[in-house]
Amino acid sequence: EDTLSAVHAFPETLIYTKSFLEFVDKVNERGEGVVRIDVRGGPEAIGMFQQPDAVRNGVVDMVYTPGSFYAGTVPEKDALVASNIPAAMARENGGIELFDQIHQEKMGVKYLGWFDSGVCYNLWTRNEPQLDADGNLDVSGLKLRGNAVYNAFFTEYLGAQVIDLPTTDVYSALERGVVDATGWTQIGLIDLKWNEFLNYRIEPCFFSTDLGVIVNLDKWNSLSDESRQILQEVAIEHEASSTEALMSKRDDDFAALDEQGMKVVTLEGQAAADYLAAAREKTWGRMRGLMEEHPAGAGNYDALIERFYDPAADAQ
Amino acid sequence: MEWYDALGLLLGSILVLMAIGMPVALAFLAANVIGAWVFMGGWAGITQMLNNGFGAVTSFALVPIPLFLLMGELFFHTGLGNRMFSAIDKLLGRVPGRLSYVTVIGGTGFSTLSGSSMGSTALLGSLMVPEMIKRGYKKHMSIGPIMGTGGLAIIIPPSALAVLLATLARIDVGALLLAGVIPGLILAGLYILLIWFQVKIDPEAAPAYEVTPMSLAEKLTLVLRDVIPMLSVMVLTVAGMIGGVFTPSEAAAFGALGVLVLAVIYRGLSWASLKNSVHGALKVTLMAYLIVFGSATFSQLLAFSGASRGLINWATGFELAPLMMLLVMFGVLLMLGMFMEQISIMLLTVPIFFPLIQTLGFDPVWFGLVMLLALEISFTTPPFGLLLFVMKGVAPPGTTMRDIYMAAFPYIGCSLVLVGILIAFPELALWLPGR
Amino acid sequence: MEILRRIYLGIVPLMAIVAGAMLIWLMVSIVVSVTMRNLGMQPYAWLFTSSEYALLYMTMLGAPWLVREKGHVHIELLTSALPPRLQRGVSRFVAVLCVLVCVILAWSGAELFLSNIERQDYDVRAYFTPKWILTIAFPVSFTLMALEFARFVHGDDLLHSGEAGLHE
Ligand code: NA
Ligand code: NA
Repeated sequence: EDTLSAVHAFPETLIYTKSFLEFVDKVNERGEGVVRIDVRGGPEAIGMFQQPDAVRNGVVDMVYTPGSFYAGTVPEKDALVASNIPAAMARENGGIELFDQIHQEKMGVKYLGWFDSGVCYNLWTRNEPQLDADGNLDVSGLKLRGNAVYNAFFTEYLGAQVIDLPTTDVYSALERGVVDATGWTQIGLIDLKWNEFLNYRIEPCFFSTDLGVIVNLDKWNSLSDESRQILQEVAIEHEASSTEALMSKRDDDFAALDEQGMKVVTLEGQAAADYLAAAREKTWGRMRGLMEEHPAGAGNYDALIERFYDPAADAQ
Repeated sequence: MEWYDALGLLLGSILVLMAIGMPVALAFLAANVIGAWVFMGGWAGITQMLNNGFGAVTSFALVPIPLFLLMGELFFHTGLGNRMFSAIDKLLGRVPGRLSYVTVIGGTGFSTLSGSSMGSTALLGSLMVPEMIKRGYKKHMSIGPIMGTGGLAIIIPPSALAVLLATLARIDVGALLLAGVIPGLILAGLYILLIWFQVKIDPEAAPAYEVTPMSLAEKLTLVLRDVIPMLSVMVLTVAGMIGGVFTPSEAAAFGALGVLVLAVIYRGLSWASLKNSVHGALKVTLMAYLIVFGSATFSQLLAFSGASRGLINWATGFELAPLMMLLVMFGVLLMLGMFMEQISIMLLTVPIFFPLIQTLGFDPVWFGLVMLLALEISFTTPPFGLLLFVMKGVAPPGTTMRDIYMAAFPYIGCSLVLVGILIAFPELALWLPGR
Repeated sequence: MEILRRIYLGIVPLMAIVAGAMLIWLMVSIVVSVTMRNLGMQPYAWLFTSSEYALLYMTMLGAPWLVREKGHVHIELLTSALPPRLQRGVSRFVAVLCVLVCVILAWSGAELFLSNIERQDYDVRAYFTPKWILTIAFPVSFTLMALEFARFVHGDDLLHSGEAGLHE
């Protein structure tokens, strides 16, 4: 029997971790006697930002983490961040295969699957957001919480005043008015209790989650063919089923927030198109710049964009 | 390897190394080298440990420690602290152990509002311990109350740790924060009772020197000149936090700046006082950070090896009456608290304890508070309570670890008494949040 | 040789002075960035990042000096009960263990530093900082710590006081 040790980036109680643990259960069930994943814990076992290095060096065999946590090694993760399609589509069109190939070359890990995709990000604010004459979002005076993932978009396009804070500090920063707006995924605001302070959600949503499972390549190659096949099959199934599960969770969350009086402000027409285009293009620009600095170059740039971005999807 | 073997190996190596007198930080690093080699696949595990330490030390959450230390050292070396305590001493007249009470009241106010246990212990320790020893107080009368109130930072709101716990356990943040108010104040009250008792049985512990009587005008002058300006630095630091001007992590920088400004006004600032302050703050910071560097990985090794998870599952695996089960969980928290860092303990125990506590019929908000109390105690439990080491760093030469352990015990006792009170009268916690 | 020794003796406190400067920098960078924010300006992101990095450099640059100052806490509860001759032996043995740990970490730190260069790793915060700029602190610091602990292995000065925990 093959055994893989695994850790996850987020605490066990977070919805994304539960999704990963579901995947583990499926593998252990279908792979009984053949392959088993042994979960060692979350950030309490290995710090969340140290996990990518740990799997790369073989300290642990498998990690469930956002690609953004190892952006310095695989800047191509921004293709997922700026994506507007779910994993199942990117699997079908060969996008994830290309992404896997890049991971193997640049980081020495197997990219097994892109889970919990299809979830995007909104801007959430305490006070009613202001729009200018053309319907664009006016962020002057907004104290916006930022981080390394958002800031290319927030500061360069929106021109917002950004305050970088770790997720754990956001609650008290909102409470005391240090910040009064933040980006966050469609799901999870209630779990973090930030809805106690935030009253508006700005549509359309931008970006996508980039959570995936990576496996140490030497370990992957040492597994039996049967083990590899089971792992890959279950991962592909979970890519699709996790998206579905999260879509229904999102609908529940939105309904609950609605009931508590969360108001929705929607950018229209050209303003919405410009907003989304900026989120996407600032992110691609960052990706291109970092790819060019690497000896491997930006040769895959167009292929990645073609496979992870569908112009038709924004029009809906 | 079974979980108890892993636990034995990790705890055994650190205890032996500490017992033979290895510096605490180095003992952690040595135990980590052994643990990383065994559980993380040899050499790669040791490199991983450096990566972990890097992550632990470059966290902004550690910023208040050096800056509050700097604030306290500046207070001390510029003579501002001496001014304030002489004045308070005179104002309070002949109450035996008066500065100990001042420490509890001031410490409760400051540490709870600053939200940083290590930071406020650093500040109050560097500020008050030397002054009180100079005035003839026995060591435990100054060291004890400071470490006791340091822990209150996480019980009484605002408390970052309480917010994190509520988020992890999916309980109402507001309710958990409110639940801490009354028990926190009761704990401060128990500390005051303890001091009264300590002075009663050993009058020598606090000096009973005569104070010359003063007129009202003299008293007023003292207050306006020596007390209010110094207090206002602390008050402004706290007000800026509550008012959203800066986050708690940032507040310490303004505290230190405030003392610098005040020292200039009072002509206490010299090159020597500045140099001595930085020197003192740096020494304690380095000592504490290197321990954090080592203990962060040690916590992780306990988790990664399955040792702590095994202990938790084993301890909660018995069929016990609800109250016994509660005590077992509390005991596990205390046990982990001796060796692990608070956030790791929460990440590890919350997914197991909270579902269990609900099937046993306890209120999760109430249990959240009991858990915070266990974490509060773990700051000061030997051998590895972090506040003990911070205190060791700021206390005057000649203060031994034994002095510090002995000073901490009665205050740990107070916290245990409070847990007992909360079990008997859960309403004390649940009345304010209205549950 | 004498010159080398003097240079070495001077480097350690010099690094501590830099560490002290980092501590001051923490205060300055926070005060500046909070002030800018409250005046409605965008604080420079490097103010925040540099203060986090300052924490690392401060710890690693100051650690060897702290060994020299005997500022690392240790506990002499048990060893102080031993007869004096044995105490001295234990003290030198502990110093040897400390040297050993520091050598292992210096070696592994050097490997980490080299692999960061080879892999072109970045630390991703507000900026993409080449990681070796940070991890070079490990081999330097642990090497010097090993040398400082080594002075307690053979010199006249002992790491421990032996006086019932008087100078723990
Ligand atoms: Na507090
Ligand atoms: Na206490």
